[in-house]
Amino acid sequence: MSERAALAIRIETMIDACAEGDRVDPSARDALIEDLAGWQAVQIAEYGRLRRRGAWPPALPTDVFRFRRIAVHPPERDIRVFRSSGTTSADRSVHAYADLSLYDLAARVAARHMLFPDAHRMRLVILAPQEHEAPDSSLCYMLSRFTEWFGSTSTWVWSSGALDLDAMTTALREAEDAAEPVALIGTSFAFVHAEDGLRKRQFRLPPASRVMQTGGYKGRSREVDPDALLSAISTRYGVPTEFIINEFGATELSSQMYETTLRDAIAGTSAPRRLWVPPWVRATPVDPDSLQPVEGGALGLLRIDDCANLDSVCCIQTADLARRLEDGIVVLGRSKGATPRGCSLAADEALGTA
Amino acid sequence: MTGDVLRVVSTEARVTWLAAAAERLLFETLDAREALSKSTGLSVPMVEWGARSTLHTIQPAALRALARQVEETGRDPISNLSIVLAGNLFTAAVRAVVVPLLLGIPVTVRASSRETLFPRMLHDVLGSCDSELGAAMRLVAFTGGDLESERSLFAESEATAVYGGDDTIAAMMRRHPDANLIAHGHGVSAAYCGPEALHGDRVSETIASLALDVCAYDQRGCLSPQVVYVVADSEASASAFAERFATEGMDPLARELPRGPLPPEVGAAQAQWRGVAEVEGALIVGDTYGIAIGTPATLRWSPGYRNVTIVPVHDRSEALRALTPLGATLKCIGSDPASSSALRAELARSERLTAYICPLGSMQTPGLDAPADGKPIWDGLLR
Repeated sequence: MSERAALAIRIETMIDACAEGDRVDPSARDALIEDLAGWQAVQIAEYGRLRRRGAWPPALPTDVFRFRRIAVHPPERDIRVFRSSGTTSADRSVHAYADLSLYDLAARVAARHMLFPDAHRMRLVILAPQEHEAPDSSLCYMLSRFTEWFGSTSTWVWSSGALDLDAMTTALREAEDAAEPVALIGTSFAFVHAEDGLRKRQFRLPPASRVMQTGGYKGRSREVDPDALLSAISTRYGVPTEFIINEFGATELSSQMYETTLRDAIAGTSAPRRLWVPPWVRATPVDPDSLQPVEGGALGLLRIDDCANLDSVCCIQTADLARRLEDGIVVLGRSKGATPRGCSLAADEALGTA
Repeated sequence: MTGDVLRVVSTEARVTWLAAAAERLLFETLDAREALSKSTGLSVPMVEWGARSTLHTIQPAALRALARQVEETGRDPISNLSIVLAGNLFTAAVRAVVVPLLLGIPVTVRASSRETLFPRMLHDVLGSCDSELGAAMRLVAFTGGDLESERSLFAESEATAVYGGDDTIAAMMRRHPDANLIAHGHGVSAAYCGPEALHGDRVSETIASLALDVCAYDQRGCLSPQVVYVVADSEASASAFAERFATEGMDPLARELPRGPLPPEVGAAQAQWRGVAEVEGALIVGDTYGIAIGTPATLRWSPGYRNVTIVPVHDRSEALRALTPLGATLKCIGSDPASSSALRAELARSERLTAYICPLGSMQTPGLDAPADGKPIWDGLLR
């Protein structure tokens, strides 16, 4: 058996264990991360150049995905290439896959655990482009799989770059009439567009309906304070705020993290809103100078070690600011860069490298 | 705007007043070093260094020399000036305010909301040294987005000097299309170490000077070098220089002039920059600095805060070719003494570069008459 195949089995077994409700020993996860990173450092020259500083394998900055191909396999074996949003090729991270089975498994198990823990299938209304409209979007790929895994019916209400408010209204009114819960899923900027466009249209979605929003704004809509958007969505659709959760994902990752309030509410418990970290993922705020874990609930840069990143690099250094909260993580947003970086950006433009 | 007395007194009276104010401001700054450290995000030793090195440039001889240069133009000063200060370098207020006052131009100053303490101290010292002349500097405060106050600021003066981000300046130009705006936008700077700077006993001096240029104000200014071109016959010799630069230049300065706390957003940019640098080439990391070994083709601008790239080149022409696309964005090139003349001559022939050359070790301490944005410091202040 090849080393890759052996690693794939270990990853799959760990994710499956979570799906079965078994506890995953963090030390087993850490050992898997160590072995995976060691193998990837040999396979991917760029990653191999990073030096270990501290107890953990080095983490590859997300920016590297903008400049270099990060994959253990050659381009001709790609079956799917995901790209982050952006206006120029240098702005966009690229994550190539030769095999999506681990991505699918991780996405299904995490969403089942956090977004659909109480329902085998339900009506889905999706405020995002369909897969064929955005074939390089990992989010659209995942949402398409959601329709297969979790949807009783699925209605896509974002088409040709615009929100179809009438189709959205029809789908939500049908759910109200049928008294069947609906999962309303989309990007944050799509929800802002909906807020701006729906005007006086209000909904009272049936109990157990839920909302999942994801992603930032990236200039695609006016920016709205997250708490204000949470409140607006709750009022607009008649969904309690605990049933409105954020999903955290990234092009450079194969796993997603979800906020905990929905699962806590269904379980009848109450705890602060935070991101659940899947047991096959290690999410750690680190000090920006030393890149070592920060103490307690201190602010740091979010490092994510994602075992489902088998064919790229599992240890990823993001530019997100985060802190630990109880057993989870709170992400405080993507760094916008400091003033000197403003100089740098202007210079990048002048050099034509942006 | 009050400034009638300033306009009618002699140049010598202004020189005396400004030099005395600079001397007093230095003492007051040193007394307020802890508070300034908090307001600027610089370490206390760095605040002291910044105050000393800047205020020492406001000497009577330098003031007289600048006034003479302006007189020789035969042009009259404008009647008054509004100034919008940036917040990245607290001492940048000094030249921005002193030069127009020297020329007899009363100023109305809006300090950055990020740093109001030093402009207030400057204002108070000018008034305490001479209350009549001091009335020629007015300090106003209003929050960003207060368009009415901004309109008043622009309307009351013949010209407005704006220090800040390119976006800020562009927005102001849109809001005040008829204003006479003197823009001082973002920029970057570079350093050049020719072959003579790297050999024998000169290399230690080169390293010390270069380290000071990188560490000054934690590399937050547009005169801070973000890239250092080193004439080296191989990447290995550039790496050897970088190693010495780390241990003999950056490490000692980390102790003498410690870096201030790293803002979270800079930390995020730094982690990405350093990681990419390591993937693309090589990286030396200290507790509070990072040195990348790059190539002219893969140059990436750093987030500042003592993160710098050393690029081996064959000669100065290769360095200037790499910098040429920057055009006016390049503000200054710090050079070793032996290379200055030749660099200056090549720059003079450049159609795109407007940067000025200054000696290594003084990039962040420009003389009173150093050019700004490729133009004389009095540009925009004369009719």
